[in-house]
Amino acid sequence: MNASHELDWKDIVHRCFRCGYCKFTEDFLDFNCPSYKNFRYETYSTGGRMWLIYGLISGEIEWSEGAANAIYACPTCGNCIENCRFDKFKDFLVDFIELARVEASKAGFTPKKQVNLLKRIENPEMNNPYGELNSDNENLKKKYDLPDQAEWVYFIGCTSNYRQKELRDATIKFLKKAKIDFTLIDEHCCCSPIIRTGQVDPVKNFINYNLLKIKNTGASKIITSCAGCYKTIKKDWLKFQEVLGIEVFHTVELIKDLMDNKKLKFNSEYKKKITYHDPCHLGRHMKFYDVPREVIKNIPGVELVEMKRNRENAWCCGAGGGVKIGYPEWAIETSRERLEEAKSTGASIITSICPFCRTNLTDANEHYDMNLQVIDLLEIINNIGYTIIN
Amino acid sequence: MHNERILNELQNIVGENYVSNREEDLYIYSQDPGASLRRNVDYVILPKNTEEVRKIVLFANAEKIPIIPMGGGLTLSGLIIPVRGGIVMDMKRMNRIIEINETSRYALIEAGVTTGQLLSHLNQNFPELQPPIPDAPPSATIAGNVLIHGSGYLSQKHGDHGAMINGIEVVLPDGEISKFGSCALSDYWFSRGPIIDFIGLFISAFGTLGVITKLSIKLYPKPNYRDVVFGLLKDTKDIPKLLLEITKTGLAEDVLLGSQDKPEWMKGYIFVMTYVTGDDPEEIEQNIKTFKKVYRKSNARFMKPPDRMRDTYLEKPIFAAGAADYRKGGGFEYVGAFMPLEKVPEAYDRAAEISRKYNIPPTIGSRLMSGTHTIVVFFSYSFNRADPKDMENARNALHETNELALQLGGIPWKVELDGQQLVLEKIDPSYKKVLKLVKTALDPNNIMNPGNWEVNEK
Repeated sequence: MNASHELDWKDIVHRCFRCGYCKFTEDFLDFNCPSYKNFRYETYSTGGRMWLIYGLISGEIEWSEGAANAIYACPTCGNCIENCRFDKFKDFLVDFIELARVEASKAGFTPKKQVNLLKRIENPEMNNPYGELNSDNENLKKKYDLPDQAEWVYFIGCTSNYRQKELRDATIKFLKKAKIDFTLIDEHCCCSPIIRTGQVDPVKNFINYNLLKIKNTGASKIITSCAGCYKTIKKDWLKFQEVLGIEVFHTVELIKDLMDNKKLKFNSEYKKKITYHDPCHLGRHMKFYDVPREVIKNIPGVELVEMKRNRENAWCCGAGGGVKIGYPEWAIETSRERLEEAKSTGASIITSICPFCRTNLTDANEHYDMNLQVIDLLEIINNIGYTIIN
Repeated sequence: MHNERILNELQNIVGENYVSNREEDLYIYSQDPGASLRRNVDYVILPKNTEEVRKIVLFANAEKIPIIPMGGGLTLSGLIIPVRGGIVMDMKRMNRIIEINETSRYALIEAGVTTGQLLSHLNQNFPELQPPIPDAPPSATIAGNVLIHGSGYLSQKHGDHGAMINGIEVVLPDGEISKFGSCALSDYWFSRGPIIDFIGLFISAFGTLGVITKLSIKLYPKPNYRDVVFGLLKDTKDIPKLLLEITKTGLAEDVLLGSQDKPEWMKGYIFVMTYVTGDDPEEIEQNIKTFKKVYRKSNARFMKPPDRMRDTYLEKPIFAAGAADYRKGGGFEYVGAFMPLEKVPEAYDRAAEISRKYNIPPTIGSRLMSGTHTIVVFFSYSFNRADPKDMENARNALHETNELALQLGGIPWKVELDGQQLVLEKIDPSYKKVLKLVKTALDPNNIMNPGNWEVNEK
């Protein structure tokens, strides 16, 4: 269920009492809302933002660049949803923020940097938020000898296809070794960046385009190595499309399945202390906590250590919700806090299963010279070598 | 009052990130979740330490700009909404827990420390100690709560939270940094006396006499086990006898009672919740047995509380904000009144009539403080803040309830502007004279939360 479909969000957004639970960690010892912790004005807590949104939609305050900035300065990490105590309301908090951004967009107040996301995605030569020329993935299909028709589509996602090609390539190799019957499509952006930033007009067309491409391959399943694509396709597309007609999986689910069936064997040990960062898109938004941890624990030699804030209580990397492009310095400051927490565990590696978290954590790692290794879980598996018994 | 020069001066003190006159930042500070109407705010500022507070106060005093100190912003009665514009001083960046003294059992904290933060800090680092915390959300600040005569689960034994203050550091309106309590002459913030007790001047003063920047509050040993004994009374007239019997045992940590029309099964009853503590489950069991007898003796029916209710009441802090959500409209305010116990039955009956008159389901709660020496009674009104008529209806109900509390010999607690004037109309003229003398002496330019506790000569 989501706010835009099931109820008129403008009639309930004022239910927030601004009690402040949304700001905290689960034990109240610290603030776990990246926006409030950074800006410290009440407006920048989710409760404060709910009140501002009510002020804007009721006309008590007018849209302005500043008001829009307050609405956009939130990575939509969902900590508020975990901590808000009002049932049948808390689940919609992030929806409300995204819907308010739609209102900002209609009023012409989407910040310029976020508008650039839309321009690049809508540009027919790009169709991705990075401004790269669109890859139709035909070269990859040829390189890896992938068929036109298959049971699965590997939905690469823009971050992996244009910025973190190691993850893309590691995923393709893994799927090939697992003898998954898959192919690639000339995919366009899943629209996560423009849904998060309220620029939703073209979303339905993009969904229709991608679904058509997928269905043309005969596939009934999508697998992706991107947390953002996973959440967007599995959850957000249903806000625009009643039925998808496809199943959606994250690669780590396949890895777990192979492990459970004793089909995956590692070729060497990985004697490292690792900590796992819960991506908000997978964790709080999709309740996807155990599978990656079970996979990590099964890698021989690995010692998994938890950061103090983990699972539902995890500290966001700071990149989501359009924050990485809109507030780049704040985004890496937020990641620095995560890396410091990772370091305090004694781990030398922080891993995740979200290329966008990885990008931001890596940027912070380099910017602040933190000396941690930031790496995707699939790349760890690829690096140590594995055998799949088919 | 928006003025670039003023903004620049304030930025010079706290840095440009921590003062704002932007409309989107001021909007939420112009209102609170209670029924008060929005009022204008000119600036919001977030100081980091006492020295910054001192500089802000000095500047505001020279410029005659009002200052309104704010903690969690949860008084609900509009006390942190400026009456005459000015600077809202949001204290929450001053959030250091400076010292926990395990031997003299106190916490020395800055004014922005939240109840959730201190509770969690003690649970993790000093698990044998517990702080006084209110039934407010964890974002309420300790300072904000104790400085309004707040109360909580330790109040039945130890009094209201204002009584638990050992010492304060205050920035007075002229910029002087003063310490009151043992800290005025000792390194230990352990006691309020035995010297002249100026601390009381700042409690329930609503920030009209200075900005409290640090304080020491008492901590208490935490019991190993805690449980609740739940009972129902049919007749409000039995309340005083039951409470006298409960307190006579000396075994109750906290006593809450109330009546509400929802859920349906509670309609027509007064529920009584006695908290018992013990070193082991056997002691708890014994105490529960004792209270079962006490309840029966006083016409109360003992019953096993529904699990959900028990869990709610054992959670610290109690999730009291649920009461604010009855109308699903984000608006909530209550008249809290300190009452003499003998008047409580009449207060319950007549307040329920007021609620019904205003079409608001009666929701009344109470907590004993210092045995039965005081009982604070909460008459709650939730409303839809998106509906101006509903808000006005709540305001009228609140006003009539304030009048009732005063008629019955009670004193409205953390009372909003109109209620303050009702109190001042009834109060002894000599009290007003002294109040005015103190205010004028400390704050001749009337910069501290002006409009509150204002003695208007007729």
